[in-house]
Amino acid sequence: MFLLIASVLCQVEPVGRWFEAFIKRRNINVSASFQELEDEKELSEESGDEELQLEEFPMLKTLDPKDWKNQDHYAVLGLGNIRYRATQKQIKAAHKSMVLKHHPDKRKAAGEQIGEGDNDYFTCITKAYEILSDPVKRRAFNSIDPTFDNSVPSKSEAKENFFEVFSPVFERNARWSNKKNVPKLGDMNSSFEEVDAFYSFWYNFDSWREFSYLDEEEKEKAECRDERRWIEKQNRAARALRKKEEMNRIRTLVDNAYSCDPRIKKFKEEEKAKKEAEKKAKVEAKRKEQEAKEKQRQAELEAARLAKEKEEEEVRQQALVAKKEKEIQKKAIKKERQKLRTTCKNWNYFSDNEADCVKMMEEVEKLCDRLELASLQCLNEALTSTTREGGKAAVVKQIEEINEQIRREKEEAEARMRQATKSSEKSSTGGGGGSKNWPEDDLQLLIKAVNLFPAGTNSRWEVIANYMNLHSATGIKRTAKDVINKAKSLQKLDPHQKDDINKKAFDKFKKEHGVVPQMDSAAPSERFEGSPLDSSPWTTEEQKLLEQALKTYPVNTPERWEKIAAAVPGRSKKDCMKRYKELVEMVKAKKAAQEQVMNATKVKK
Amino acid sequence: MAAIGVHLGATCACAAVYKDGRADVVANDAGDRVTPAVVAFSESEEVVGLAAKQSRIRNISNTVVKVKQILGRSSGDPQAEKYIAESKCSIIEKNGKLQYEIDNKLINPEDVAKLIFSKMKETAQSALGSDVNDVVITVPFDFGENQKNALGEAAAAAGFNVMRLIHEPSAALLAYGIGQDSPTGKSNVLVYKLGGTSLSITVIEVNSGIYRVLATNTDDSIGGVCFTEALAQHLASEFQRSCKHDIRGNPRAMMKLMNSADIAKHSLSTLGSANCFVDSLYEGLDFDCNVSRARFELICSSLFSKCVEAIKKLLQQVGFTADDINKVVLCGGSARIPKLQQLIKDIFPTVELLNSIPPDEVIPIGAAIEAGILLGKENPLLEEETLIECSAKDILLKGVDESGADKFTVLFPSGTPLPARRQHTLHAPGNTSSVCLELYESLGKSPMNEEGKFAQIVLQDLDKKEDGLHDILTVLTMKRDGSLHVTCTDQDTGKCEIITVEVAS
Repeated sequence: MFLLIASVLCQVEPVGRWFEAFIKRRNINVSASFQELEDEKELSEESGDEELQLEEFPMLKTLDPKDWKNQDHYAVLGLGNIRYRATQKQIKAAHKSMVLKHHPDKRKAAGEQIGEGDNDYFTCITKAYEILSDPVKRRAFNSIDPTFDNSVPSKSEAKENFFEVFSPVFERNARWSNKKNVPKLGDMNSSFEEVDAFYSFWYNFDSWREFSYLDEEEKEKAECRDERRWIEKQNRAARALRKKEEMNRIRTLVDNAYSCDPRIKKFKEEEKAKKEAEKKAKVEAKRKEQEAKEKQRQAELEAARLAKEKEEEEVRQQALVAKKEKEIQKKAIKKERQKLRTTCKNWNYFSDNEADCVKMMEEVEKLCDRLELASLQCLNEALTSTTREGGKAAVVKQIEEINEQIRREKEEAEARMRQATKSSEKSSTGGGGGSKNWPEDDLQLLIKAVNLFPAGTNSRWEVIANYMNLHSATGIKRTAKDVINKAKSLQKLDPHQKDDINKKAFDKFKKEHGVVPQMDSAAPSERFEGSPLDSSPWTTEEQKLLEQALKTYPVNTPERWEKIAAAVPGRSKKDCMKRYKELVEMVKAKKAAQEQVMNATKVKK
Repeated sequence: MAAIGVHLGATCACAAVYKDGRADVVANDAGDRVTPAVVAFSESEEVVGLAAKQSRIRNISNTVVKVKQILGRSSGDPQAEKYIAESKCSIIEKNGKLQYEIDNKLINPEDVAKLIFSKMKETAQSALGSDVNDVVITVPFDFGENQKNALGEAAAAAGFNVMRLIHEPSAALLAYGIGQDSPTGKSNVLVYKLGGTSLSITVIEVNSGIYRVLATNTDDSIGGVCFTEALAQHLASEFQRSCKHDIRGNPRAMMKLMNSADIAKHSLSTLGSANCFVDSLYEGLDFDCNVSRARFELICSSLFSKCVEAIKKLLQQVGFTADDINKVVLCGGSARIPKLQQLIKDIFPTVELLNSIPPDEVIPIGAAIEAGILLGKENPLLEEETLIECSAKDILLKGVDESGADKFTVLFPSGTPLPARRQHTLHAPGNTSSVCLELYESLGKSPMNEEGKFAQIVLQDLDKKEDGLHDILTVLTMKRDGSLHVTCTDQDTGKCEIITVEVAS
């Protein structure tokens, strides 16, 4: 017997709880009926607890209803073994059976004496059921379950058997997780991702464990709102503290596990090794690069060197070649000369007597020296092709030509010499390039300027020229060059002339100031002006003393000038002051001239 | 633990939350239970919802509407072409993807969807008072992979954790809890969704609490918008009659009229007549008009008939008649129109029309219920899990009814997800000591003939009962490959017979 058509695959909508259940069943490969059997099995398990419950009867008797908070509710209901794993069904069933056994009315009927009022332990049973059936209260009770092992293995304990010690602890504590699918500790071969996921889960562990059950005081006991609030506050603080402790406990657990975990160590080492390898590789690569660069550079140098060598070779070759050519040339000339000499000799130098012979020889030597190869060759040819007379004529002609040339050259040289001397004369007597007049005054000025700006001043000659241009009575503009030349020529002049000039200078000076230093019969005036007494020029020593005194007695000293005058013997206060003023003016003039030059150069630039 | 269900439609979006075993639609900050899926972009901000819709008149090129029609589609798609042609915002193609160009910025449709989702998320979270991110989102049945992915991305970008994308018809069924109570039994349900821009009809078979879509049909040319259009046209001609101005050429005036017609249409679903008032419709002239429900129905009569035609066509396509449908579910905003409900009832006179939940909230509530079921489950759905083996044919028992004719009872309907077990208590005449059960298989409603018989079971040595009947407990178990295992037990004697029927290979 066969069905005609098999099942077909259909696309369904993934919607609704039946779909989810279907998928779940399919994934764990059970059928619906199997699930039903599973449910039935659960029910049958509960009935097995009945025997246990009978044993607890003596325990129950000891329970005090007023002390219900401290009792173990699970034990009361007979679920002491399965505790938090008990389903609601089981709890209900357990409660029911307890009630049936321990209800006061029933016991009374059986003849037992019941405690008065609330003293009976039956209230404990109802209380236990009340707490365990309410999910919130049950959770609170589960949180402080006395049978839970809160211990955390220390690092030393776990040194040897990491996995054996820590696995059960993590499994125990997985109970508190809010999220389902708590990752397991795994084993030595777990992958990096698994270990990572495990630790990140446990470091961010979200626990529902709370400690409200241990509240010391109850809100109901309060009489007024304030008291209630105060009690709440106390409770909250206590709960927070305990929760913090709990979190710390978990944290310590995970920390201990992390520090002892051999896999973590392994991963870290692997990473380190990798990093080291990378670093090494980098260094290697760098080194190789360097080497490559070096090689390249070397190669380049080599190439350059080779090139240079080649060039030098070439040059040398060329030089050799040139040299060879020269040699050839030389040889050729020598040959010709020799030829000429021999020919002339043979013809006895075209002369008959000794004197002529000698002269002729000289001339022939001259020829040999002066003539070039080509002309020599021509001459030789001519000589060989003609007779003695013809030869003589040719030679004589050449000699004449040569002499002509010599004479011309001499003339040119002389002319040039004359030019040179003329020009040097010109430069020594006047300014270069055009005759500039240098009257006496200007000469004096020049000398003064030269003394004023000693050697070593910046752009000395420009400054001097400027000075000249500034102070010259004549309107002639002088350049530095003129000035230099003139100065040099002056230097060249013989001392006699210098004396003359100096004397002239003095006379000029006298003329200018128009006063002869003579004792004034007039009363010595205190006033500074017009007093010619002190027109004797200052010597260097006096100058030095003055300068020292100026330094010694700075500006604000009282009776400064008296002191200075005292320091300079033979000069009165007035002298000193006058001299000081002159000096200041000179310095100013110098500076002005220098500045002008600087500006001029600046503009030029 | 709470979860969210979101429905993003072409014109409106709606969010519902599942909390403490109940699913409810949440109202947004303006107090509306549905939020228009309109996003308006300005230089400084984006506005989502009613405010954007109302300001659309003034900002038409920067306001994005009906983003669902272009989400995940590329430029070759005819749907996308149609959308681009009608859209008032400029759409350009860049790198093969379609993007809006607003204020010289390029905006993805996914970004627009993300903004709408963010708004729905805010709404839901403010109602729940907590940061819940788990969501189930509904998609039309004909959404392709690209579109589903685009939608999923947009939701993820808005901060949602998308648990699953479910189809809109299934969500509608789940909202009414169809098939969720009796795990056995098979029924067919028609889901009629008339949304803002399209009409979608789906026939779903419900078997053992699992849904299977038999056929679906979508028509994009009818939608709530068409009704509004028709009404607006009527109002425009009214205006022309009274003020001698033809405003049909003026887009702003027409848009104002559309808004007003929309409101009037909504009122007409509950009231007998509605008043349309537009302030300064055209050149400073106000417009005031009364529209009665009868007039509205008259205006839209052609549309109504179109809607109804579509149902008939689909039934034909599936090969069902109106009697095969056991239930009809209405969803989509425009299914509120009383006339439409009336027309549908006319087609299915015996059938229960489910409309106790407001039609535009049905789908999000279904999504929220599914979200509640999926809460706490971590495994995502694999593709292969939606393919389930189902029985191909009905398994029937031949019996005799009162008149003596052959009567076939279905013991094991087709389309049952496998593996499955069904048990029936059959009655056989008590005066015989042996009973023979003949099993037939058939598909559909074709008349039974002897070829369909594939097995028979005979129970013998039963106690005779003069009056009364033998109670035979028959348990049929079908495995995933289709092989059938039948156990018949006589309740009185305890005698039982077992046969196994394999699949023909």
